[in-house]
Amino acid sequence: MIYFDNGATTFPKPQSVINAVSRAMRTCANPGRSGHRLSVRSSEIIFECRQNTARLFDFDKPENVIFTNNCTAALNTVIRGTLKEGDHVIISSLEHNAVLRPVADLKDRGVEYSVASVIEGDNDKTLDNFRSQIKGNTRMVVCTHASNVFGVRLPIERIGAMCRIYGILFCVDAAQTAGVMPISLKDSDIDYLCTAGHKGLYGPMGTGVLVINSETTPKSLIQGGTGSFSSELAQPDVLPDKYESGTPNVSGIAGLNEGVKFVLNKGISNIRAHETDLAQRLYNGLSKNSRVILYTEPPSSGGHAPVISFNIEGMDSEEVAETLNQRFNIAVRAGLHCAPLAHQSLGTAESGTVRAVMSVFNSAPQIDYFLNSVNKIATLTSKKVAIDT
Amino acid sequence: MEKNLIIFNNMTYLMKAKELLRKNDIRSRTVRTPSSLRRGSCGYSLQVNSDYERAYRLIKDSGIPMTGASAVDFG
Repeated sequence: MIYFDNGATTFPKPQSVINAVSRAMRTCANPGRSGHRLSVRSSEIIFECRQNTARLFDFDKPENVIFTNNCTAALNTVIRGTLKEGDHVIISSLEHNAVLRPVADLKDRGVEYSVASVIEGDNDKTLDNFRSQIKGNTRMVVCTHASNVFGVRLPIERIGAMCRIYGILFCVDAAQTAGVMPISLKDSDIDYLCTAGHKGLYGPMGTGVLVINSETTPKSLIQGGTGSFSSELAQPDVLPDKYESGTPNVSGIAGLNEGVKFVLNKGISNIRAHETDLAQRLYNGLSKNSRVILYTEPPSSGGHAPVISFNIEGMDSEEVAETLNQRFNIAVRAGLHCAPLAHQSLGTAESGTVRAVMSVFNSAPQIDYFLNSVNKIATLTSKKVAIDT
Repeated sequence: MEKNLIIFNNMTYLMKAKELLRKNDIRSRTVRTPSSLRRGSCGYSLQVNSDYERAYRLIKDSGIPMTGASAVDFG
């Protein structure tokens, strides 16, 4: 199968990741609980992954790298663990439900939220839209680094600087950009960086990361055994223990460690260049077909992650994806991509879109085959429409 | 037999310290902390057989939090 559903999870995974997961299953036991070598080995692997993840984000505190089940869990920890009654939070118009649903849920507990519109290609206007939503009780801004549907990148450096000036906490959802776009936490205004481990970091599904770059630490949402301070009733305040109760996903983290090393070895600038070239090739090809609808500027314009959303005139996005799957053996995702706000912003809330996201394992011939397939589907639909009328 | 232990309050700090010692050519081993010394700690210590004082100083100077250090007779 030719796989372009890398926005959901990257596939395939590097062989080193697969080997590490298998090795961990064979050679690791519960970390931080016992003194035998199988337990200590687990602790060493987990620490190595914290170190490598910190390095990836140009960060010098591996203990502030928290492992979670996914990006959603990391975002929930920040949002639910920080905001309290009377607080106000600003999110962007391109947010995933991983941000939208927690802030909407907190409304019942007296936390209000506002949505700042993102204007593609106009960072000044986008920043103004965030600024105009600030109120006296604004405690946090949470926004995606780049839309999971349209790839539109937000000016997070400028939004972060604005937050610092106003004394507002800043949380970034980097699910689509970690491993693809450079993110440095050195001298950064990002307080909380949340990401998936299984997308651009090439780790196993069921892994996520929260990096805390702030003295303000969220309340832990889960309490329990950490292997530390065991005689004390209170949850330890020390990181990462505060957020990592219970047995961790050792085999997943072992795989993530190799995924992060894979990204570090390839180099983010190389990965980005490769994926942007492919996304641009796809965009160029699709734009030549008059029946294909595109929604953004070209990905090579610099303001985008390698994510392309499109539709074929007269066809349901799900139907296009299903035809690509059944007839052409191509994997994409269609529909709303868990981001209804983003679709409302670009006028695709009813139809959804077909989404193709690049990974390092995609190639130019795959893009050409994809374009051929889309053109065939569009032609067949065109004939069907002509017959129907 | 007496062993020199440096005690930590969580595993991540211990691993940071172990890495620091490794970079300074000091060998250490992760061991469970004896129950009598465990209060407030993660239950783990670094056992340092040689260069113990230098190891302790390196960790202290680096700012990695320690719970304590002790010479323990394991019998």
